[in-house]
Amino acid sequence: MSLPPPPAPAAWPPPDATIVAYDVSRSFGSLVAVSSVSVAVQPGVSALLGPNGAGKSTLLRMLSGQIKPSSGSVWVAGGDPRTDAEARDRIGLVPQQDGVFEREKALDVVRLAAILSQLDNVEERARWALGLVELDPDLDRPVGAFSKGMRQRVKIAQALVHDPVVLMMDEPLNGLDPRQRKQMISLFHELGNRGKSVLVSSHVLEEVERLGSHVIVIAKGRLAAQGDFRAIRSLMDNQPLRFRVVCTNARRVAASLVERSAVIGCSVASDTEIEITTDDAKVFRRAIAAVCRNVGARLEEVAPLDEDLESVFRYLVGAGG
Amino acid sequence: MTPFFTLYRLFLRNQLTTGRLVLIGALSAIAIILGFATGASDPFDPVETATGVVWFFGIGLMVPIISLVLSSSAFGDLQADETLVYLWHRKTPRWQLAAAAWLAPATIAVPATALGLVICALLITGFSAKVFFGTLLAVVVAAIVYSAAFTLLGLLFRRALIIGLMYLFIWEQFMARAGGGAATLSINTYPSSVLAQITDVELFLADRSIAVGLIVPIVLSILALVATSRRLNRMDVA
Repeated sequence: MSLPPPPAPAAWPPPDATIVAYDVSRSFGSLVAVSSVSVAVQPGVSALLGPNGAGKSTLLRMLSGQIKPSSGSVWVAGGDPRTDAEARDRIGLVPQQDGVFEREKALDVVRLAAILSQLDNVEERARWALGLVELDPDLDRPVGAFSKGMRQRVKIAQALVHDPVVLMMDEPLNGLDPRQRKQMISLFHELGNRGKSVLVSSHVLEEVERLGSHVIVIAKGRLAAQGDFRAIRSLMDNQPLRFRVVCTNARRVAASLVERSAVIGCSVASDTEIEITTDDAKVFRRAIAAVCRNVGARLEEVAPLDEDLESVFRYLVGAGG
Repeated sequence: MTPFFTLYRLFLRNQLTTGRLVLIGALSAIAIILGFATGASDPFDPVETATGVVWFFGIGLMVPIISLVLSSSAFGDLQADETLVYLWHRKTPRWQLAAAAWLAPATIAVPATALGLVICALLITGFSAKVFFGTLLAVVVAAIVYSAAFTLLGLLFRRALIIGLMYLFIWEQFMARAGGGAATLSINTYPSSVLAQITDVELFLADRSIAVGLIVPIVLSILALVATSRRLNRMDVA
């Protein structure tokens, strides 16, 4: 089983990378939260994926300059965000925590961010940013009285107000309802299409799948994989793959399939559905149509069960462990 | 609005909680009652008595406690609710963040302590220019330097309030009063010296000149501000 090889020095980082971390590690006492991670993020939407406690937030905090790596180096949008205020200002940050100046109104929170970024047209920009996240700038309630989803949108608005080159967001979709999630994901894509580097961390796999095809997978503090998740998935070709077969006469089809060398597991879920495990997907795909024809069954669907991100994640986390 | 003034206003608003206002009101009320009761007892030397009360209760307790409660919470509150990152991550210079966090509680502490203590002193002496100006200047100096020191403390420690109280009661009230070099390391010595010099009343371990009494707190405040800025530069922010 092989994971993506470590980046070759000559080809890495990519010339258009806006976020580069080289061999970064961070320990808290004896706990190693992130260990020797090298990542490069280019313009577009990228997802930082990993289970809770994998080290995603620690890595994101190192990338944003919030915490200093124990070793290694970070470069974001032209500088080290810990020491270079201008580089830091090119980042829009949505931290993980809920707290957002509970006593202030949404417009005041975003206005504060605009003033601290030394923008000229503070009021206009604050209203624009709140508009992007579909929040009414004239809401008269303090943020403390907002729902979690509304607070999340205030956090995103304050990160967007200065139109940063890089956006780093730690679980930004938490607390949003499905419609808001869809709207935010489309906003992130729009920003990515405009050349921004949007890095979004999440442990919710279906969210990540919709966010973008470029993923950085962190497991147990280590980089498990980085790249297009379909490409990562292709690394698993030597692993058993699962397919769902929908057909008539499922039991006879299943009985016939288990005799095939490519099929190493088979379970009949219902009269019309079979779950197959195969160690050779190509051979299986060729065989299934013939088997159905031979037993007089009508084949309706052959769907891979392992192409989703969940499978990639499960595989990689297993491999990282 | 400038970033500095915006930060200052934010810190100021955060300071004004009911609990803190009650504490300030209670200590001010105690100061006035103390002044009234002492004045009514017809002291032998009102100037010496008023100076002693301002020194012991005002500069020894009221000013440092109010400054500690207000200033340690300037960064402490932001760290507790994890909102410091929203200020810290912007490009506004660290010194402006540090200065705003120091100035906001000082803005409350100075009038809040000066008013009660000046009334206290005047209730004992009637109008006495040297007691009035001595109290006013000593309280302002004390509030400014304690605010700077406790703003730093609030950034350094999560339990700054407890550590500050330990400093006040163990170091300043006990160890420093053993005299010698320890008193030099006590903030209290300097505003006390200002009070003693202006009122011309001898106070225990308050034997610095008025210049030293003014310059050292200013230098200490600047050093605390520099240390706060440096700490902001180097710290990890959640």
